Amino acid sequence: MALLPANPQWRSLVLLAIIIVVLGVLPWTVNNYWLRIATGALMWAGLACSWNMLGGYAGYINFGQSAFFGLGAYVTAFLMSDPFGLAFPVTIPAGMVVTALCAVIIGAPTLRLRGAYFAIATWAFAEVLIQFSSAMDFTGGIGGIGLPPYLNERFFYFAMFGAAALTYLLTWALFERSRFGLKVKALRDHEPAAEAMGINTALVKLQTFVLSAVTASVFGAIFAYWVTFINPKSVFGGDITDQMVVMVLLGGLGTLWGPAIGGVALFGVNRLIWMYWGDTAFYIAILGTAIVLVVLFLPNGIAGLFERRKQNALDKVLDKLVGSGEGGHP
Amino acid sequence: MDLFLQTLLNGLLIGGVIATFTVAFQLAFGVLHVIDFAVGGWVVLGGYLGYYITAWLGLDGFLAIPLAFVLFGALGYLIGPVLYNVRNSRTARPELMALALSFGLFTLLRGGMLTAWGFNTRNVTTALSGESLAIGPVTVPLIRVVAAVFAAAIAGGLFLFLYRTRYGLAIRATAENRHNAALMGVNIGRLSANVYGLYAGITAMAGVLMGAIYSVNPEVGLRYTLFAFFVAVLAGLGSVEGALVAALLLGVVEAFVSTYVGASYSLLAIFTTLFLVLLISPRGILRRGL
Amino acid sequence: MSGGMQPAADPILSVRGLFKHFGGIKAANGVELAVGRHEIAGLIGPNGCGKSTLFSLVSGAVMPDKGEICFDGRAVGGMSAHRIARLGLARTFQIPALFDNMTVTENLLAAAAEGHWRGASERAAETLSLLKLEHVADNRASDLSGGQQKLLEFGRAVVRQASLILLDEVTAGVHPNIRKIILEAIARLREQGVSFLVIEHDMEMVRNVCDRIIVMDSGRVVTSGAFEDIVRNSEVMQTYLGHPQ
Repeated sequence: MALLPANPQWRSLVLLAIIIVVLGVLPWTVNNYWLRIATGALMWAGLACSWNMLGGYAGYINFGQSAFFGLGAYVTAFLMSDPFGLAFPVTIPAGMVVTALCAVIIGAPTLRLRGAYFAIATWAFAEVLIQFSSAMDFTGGIGGIGLPPYLNERFFYFAMFGAAALTYLLTWALFERSRFGLKVKALRDHEPAAEAMGINTALVKLQTFVLSAVTASVFGAIFAYWVTFINPKSVFGGDITDQMVVMVLLGGLGTLWGPAIGGVALFGVNRLIWMYWGDTAFYIAILGTAIVLVVLFLPNGIAGLFERRKQNALDKVLDKLVGSGEGGHP
Repeated sequence: MDLFLQTLLNGLLIGGVIATFTVAFQLAFGVLHVIDFAVGGWVVLGGYLGYYITAWLGLDGFLAIPLAFVLFGALGYLIGPVLYNVRNSRTARPELMALALSFGLFTLLRGGMLTAWGFNTRNVTTALSGESLAIGPVTVPLIRVVAAVFAAAIAGGLFLFLYRTRYGLAIRATAENRHNAALMGVNIGRLSANVYGLYAGITAMAGVLMGAIYSVNPEVGLRYTLFAFFVAVLAGLGSVEGALVAALLLGVVEAFVSTYVGASYSLLAIFTTLFLVLLISPRGILRRGL
Repeated sequence: MSGGMQPAADPILSVRGLFKHFGGIKAANGVELAVGRHEIAGLIGPNGCGKSTLFSLVSGAVMPDKGEICFDGRAVGGMSAHRIARLGLARTFQIPALFDNMTVTENLLAAAAEGHWRGASERAAETLSLLKLEHVADNRASDLSGGQQKLLEFGRAVVRQASLILLDEVTAGVHPNIRKIILEAIARLREQGVSFLVIEHDMEMVRNVCDRIIVMDSGRVVTSGAFEDIVRNSEVMQTYLGHPQ
């Protein structure tokens, strides 16, 4: 690390700047094949982060996050195709609203119960959407929906980059830097005690869940436009949730950068297997093995290997730049 | 009217088979406090054992039933303590980690089976395959009747064990209240190995029966996991008696939706019911849940 | 027998005819009690007499079957725990219920997150120094010793700036040094106008700290009064405390 400044705060900031610059110039330095892979990696890093909001910070496992990814994708596909033919940017907020409504309907009753009921409810919801969208005509049935093609890889790269950057910024500001994050982590660690501290745990959990769901829907919307064709399995499929879970566990539950590390690492493995074997079944077995091994031997994830008890140096610098305001830690 | 009776009977018979493994599932939840996603994986593995005992050894599929119990019972006996240790570990968020572990196990089983056996569908062949039984105006495949009788025997044995033996009492006490059971000297760690083994064995036996009635492929595991969850939610997590009622109900609902609406809607109907029950009466309509 | 030691006409907490049955267990069986403003009331009685259940009922963690709970002039029976907490009632738990994966400082800040957030970090720092926890400020709560966990549990109640604090055996099994820190803190807070209801088994502590004793048995209050009056009544001591002095 001789090239980097010795001061840890500056080092972190320089590292972040390098990452941003590299990601910024990437579209002009690699071919479309690698650009698509980078776009995918950014999407998965963002999706893993969305799952981590509830799973990592609030301690509630959501086994149906693909439902919200798929809702974003379907709303965009539905509104952009005939007869509506709306512009892409308009469809994103529409998908966010639909997703938020669904999240409230599922979350309000089940988040009050033990985590197991919530896990079943979210899982069932995603499966209902698969069955429903396969059976209905307006969703195109099993065949799915095609979108007007837009063949501009750089556009999709920057769309995913922007969405991922916003997701991480939001996670950092809300969960690491504000009193909202304190409330979320408090209820994760001890719900009755959090209630006794005046924290409305039901409300805070619901807010976190909706935020997590809406974030996933944005990536779904970009994904649908990017691949120009979606069907029930490709956007609601349980494998999408499986991957998010593995990415977060692998990277580090409830950490800011864990999902990014896990997301990029696992997506890399995914592409490698696809390149050399072209086999999805084997990948599912690897996912399962990864979950089991991480739970048993690396419960704090990769980020846990670099565990810091003290505040992250990077956070401190960003704190000074942004100004911690009322929400900051002392 | 005949169709109605036939559907009802079919539903009850299938419900009986579902009841065997869902009752065991509830028991495992009561003791381990983990909802086991892998339940569908055990069912499918049992089905494949039934298939291979014919395909490789040329034996009748029914012979796979005791073998399934021994084989997967032993496997479950090894896995149970691992789940228990994760659930009760001092690491952050043990409940979530145990849930993730069972989910990982399910994904591993599914992916492993897909890799090994592909997406093809297999049938368990028995001496009864193709035979049917006429009861008054109603005709049902004989295998369903025998499977239901078998399932009833297994469930009956399980209930006798739970309600008539000291060890069964220890299991029920633990399922009711782990803290008190520990105070009364129950070794929950060892109990969890036995209970998870019992549950995996029974579930795999039910899998052989399911493979003989329908057919089996690695992707149907999801369906049986759904069945177990459906029953657990209706009965309330951990309620063993409720599971019996809820499983029969599930069999009947599935049969009627398949017959009168269409087979492709049966999963949608089950998921939607499960979902609505969770929204309206989240602790189970029988209100016995933990 | 309770002498002239009834709380003032305008108590901070009053409980009337409170019932809570768990199956056949009558954890609260017509509880009647009151805690005056600026008072430190001690709640004593044999194990299983319903003291901790009373805390849960008053703080809203458990819903009463029937009865009235009035806190700071408002009926709070049946209100959810976080709403009661926001009205100015704080409590500790018998078994420390810390936010294990958060640091000591974060535990205090989380306690202040709902309510008086302005100046929370200053208050957290003050509480750290009041409880002599500065040196472990950045440690995870689960890494603390048993006594330190009790201190932090108490500290979270302090940070909330409550008008009534319910303490559940907060000095049980801790080192005398830590007990001294807690007792000094209680005395200081009382000067600032905070009232306390304290579950205690240690009679020495009850004598030194509490203005008035409330004796519970089998889910109801059997008597209350000054420590000396209660002790002098040997029947009460024998029946409910088991060791006449």
